[in-house]
Amino acid sequence: MTAPSTNDVIDTVLGLDRFPDLQALRDQRAKLKHLSQTSYQAALRPADPRNFSYALRAALAARMAALWKSQELSAHFRALLESEEEGPALASITNPGSAADTADPRLQAILAHVDLVTLSPKEATRANIEKLTTAGLDDRDIVTLAGLIAFVNYQVLVVAGLKMLRDN
Amino acid sequence: MSQAVHEFTVEALDWKPYVKPVDVETATPEQLDALKITPSNKKISDYVLVLANEPETLKERTPLFNDIMYSEGGLSRGGREIGALAASFVNRCIYCASVHAARYIQLEKRPEVVDEIYGGGLDANLPEFEQALFNFGVDLTAHPDNVGAYQFYHLREIGLDDLQILDLIHAVAIFGWANRLMHTLGEPHRLD
Repeated sequence: MTAPSTNDVIDTVLGLDRFPDLQALRDQRAKLKHLSQTSYQAALRPADPRNFSYALRAALAARMAALWKSQELSAHFRALLESEEEGPALASITNPGSAADTADPRLQAILAHVDLVTLSPKEATRANIEKLTTAGLDDRDIVTLAGLIAFVNYQVLVVAGLKMLRDN
Repeated sequence: MSQAVHEFTVEALDWKPYVKPVDVETATPEQLDALKITPSNKKISDYVLVLANEPETLKERTPLFNDIMYSEGGLSRGGREIGALAASFVNRCIYCASVHAARYIQLEKRPEVVDEIYGGGLDANLPEFEQALFNFGVDLTAHPDNVGAYQFYHLREIGLDDLQILDLIHAVAIFGWANRLMHTLGEPHRLD
């Protein structure tokens, strides 16, 4: 798998090079298309990944895409994970339901939060943030995680909507 | 101490974070740079200051949000607000709903549409045009893996062209993003 490039990820995962009309439609909103891609960079490959390695970010993103059965995006994020040195160690995370596999309480708390906020954000309360704090995440880590979850869910919805336009 | 709000309301609300907002006095140059994009003529909200913990993301997110909700042409701004409201109702982001209900009323001068959404929730019985926008927002938010010909047909039936549908998709999707921040990183309170 190639390293992340400057190509537009959404165009790529939907194979829009074969759908020039839909590509042209997206280009009518060129600014937001560009900002969606720069947001992807900021969420998945930020200049300073701090306590969330590129590999962990890719693994969590693949898991979220899989939770929504977004095959295009989960395949993309799994490939991104495989391009990382720590990829194999985190591969099991990409599979929803794998939370029990890890003995690491920090990772367990992160996975539980990812699953909850992806599928049932309405259920989230202050107690869920406290669980992250207890597991050792600081305020910035919590905002980092929330931002990653929020971005990937945005991308899942955009891809789902574009797929509807592509196939109808 | 003000009271946390756990039911949908159209009244204007305060938002109190669970994590520490960035202190402008001690912010890093990168944080200040990311904050500069927000309207400088009013006090920066705690919500934006919380997000400034991750300045690289905030710096992209603010203009993205603004372009999705306010760009020229395509779907009306009110139509985009219906998408925002639908997402916020599915995700129970009470604060987001209150802000965007007010914005819809301000733009469209049709409080009865908002009243029906607040009364009926996800089962709201709306005029045909608003109903189709709202239903699409609910479906895309709740079941992104199950949006296809059925949803597309209903949007075409109310006369939406491709660009308008694209604008609606983005409006719903950006609230899939916003709801997951606002509803999980803090909670709404009654104004003191």
